[in-house]
Amino acid sequence: MSAAALVADAATAHAQVRLSGVGKSYRRAATTFVALEGIDLAVARSEFVSIIGPSGCGKSTVLLIMAGLVAPTQGSVTVDAAPVNAPLTNVGIVFQRDLLFDWRTVLGNVLLQAEVRGLDRRASTERALGLLAQAGLGGFENRYPWELSGGMRQRVAICRALLHRADLLLLDEPFGALDALTRDQMNLDLQAIWGEHRTTAVLVTHSISEAVFLSDRVFIMGSRPGRIVDTLAIDLPRPRTVEMRETEAFVRYQRLLREGIGHP
Amino acid sequence: MDIPSGAAPAGRMAGFGAWLGGIARLRDATLIFLAVCASWELCARLGLFPPYVLPAPSAIALRLAETAGFLWSHMLVTAAEIAAGFLLALVVGVLLAAAITFIPFVDRAIYPWLVVIQVIPKVALGPLLVIWLGFGFFPKVLISFLLAFFPIMIDTMIGMKSVERDAVFLLQSMGARNASIFWRLRFPNALPHLFGSLKVAITLATVGAIVGEFIGADRGLGYVLIFANGGMDTTLMFAALVWISVLALVFYALVAWAERACLRWHVSHRSESGHGT
Repeated sequence: MSAAALVADAATAHAQVRLSGVGKSYRRAATTFVALEGIDLAVARSEFVSIIGPSGCGKSTVLLIMAGLVAPTQGSVTVDAAPVNAPLTNVGIVFQRDLLFDWRTVLGNVLLQAEVRGLDRRASTERALGLLAQAGLGGFENRYPWELSGGMRQRVAICRALLHRADLLLLDEPFGALDALTRDQMNLDLQAIWGEHRTTAVLVTHSISEAVFLSDRVFIMGSRPGRIVDTLAIDLPRPRTVEMRETEAFVRYQRLLREGIGHP
Repeated sequence: MDIPSGAAPAGRMAGFGAWLGGIARLRDATLIFLAVCASWELCARLGLFPPYVLPAPSAIALRLAETAGFLWSHMLVTAAEIAAGFLLALVVGVLLAAAITFIPFVDRAIYPWLVVIQVIPKVALGPLLVIWLGFGFFPKVLISFLLAFFPIMIDTMIGMKSVERDAVFLLQSMGARNASIFWRLRFPNALPHLFGSLKVAITLATVGAIVGEFIGADRGLGYVLIFANGGMDTTLMFAALVWISVLALVFYALVAWAERACLRWHVSHRSESGHGT
């Protein structure tokens, strides 16, 4: 990786999310399996970062540790300088599986977020309808999840994650199950939504072009044990466009990421 | 986006076609029934078997009409036993399933014994129950309950446990505690399993009540069967069997109807709606 691409982490001084020396190991019978080791990373407020790496390297686990849903066996996690010991609640999470509840309508699924949190019903409904319309799902609010295509379902899941205006957006391969065309469109839409509010976002992905397209910085992970092997700052103007993918700079970033992951 | 408006009319057409198909099937099933009855009647009139072995359908029908009031009152007793045993099994089965899912001690210490006890044929406990509880209403309810509760408990437990880890994570990230996760995720997730088991349980509850009446009773359709058996009154036995069958069918239909009403969202009940890709 070229020296210019390596980042001296200026952002970390005022980090919103910080992982220091985070490790995760599982004990199975007599052997200990080290899933993650020495993960140091910091995400600044309003930053969009991606974590990319080969499958099975533990990138999703890093996200779950960030969210306080999985406890690390070593190291510490802080969000806004406060240690994370329990599930974070000021987050919006989107998983690879949309996890829509079959027994709830589209609107009911988005409003789940408001119900569990005890938010004002009328205001939440209004906001949910606005988000759904923005996501191209106007008129679908009373449909059930099984009546929707995969891309539409994932949009509902994203609306659910945005409903409560969380401080932090955690995206665990949200578009991994979608076809390439739908995925490109979802990337554009996600960028638009993010650009509007600049909510800090952490995206786990195994798509190199998706990582370059969306991120300010990309953390590259290696496996066995899962660790961060490099960080790449993506210095491309925003908003990014589909045409930009053909540019020399974009292609160069993709190459750098591919080399970093170790698949030349 | 490729779904809705186009898919709905097509679905309705398919629904209408299915309805027509249902009528046709019903017609064929009725024709078969009439054909069997007619040949049975013919054989009986030709004297191929004595009436005390197999009475003619016409004789059974006549007897059904004569004994309608008598068998109706016995049917009410059996129906009450089945309903009470089934409802008790439903409440206890679901509560036990929840306890096994949420209280590790119950899972470790009690659940294995519930499985072991299950190996005992519960019908064999009938005579003991008569000694303990007498000849009244309650021992029948208890046998009915004992037969019905196990499938309800097992299937509900499986439904409550088989939720996706990430779905639990999602709710936790909203600040949900265990009780909230139970009502919003585990319970609805268990409903299809629960209703599946209820269809098995209602037939087992029927068996339990009838067998309970065999062992010792002075009323109920099972008692009528034993009573008619003592007098070699095969025609009355058949009349009682008709009532038992109708009763079992009605109970089963009630459970199936409740399932349809509660599980419109489930994959097994989606009919006319569009479909995802």
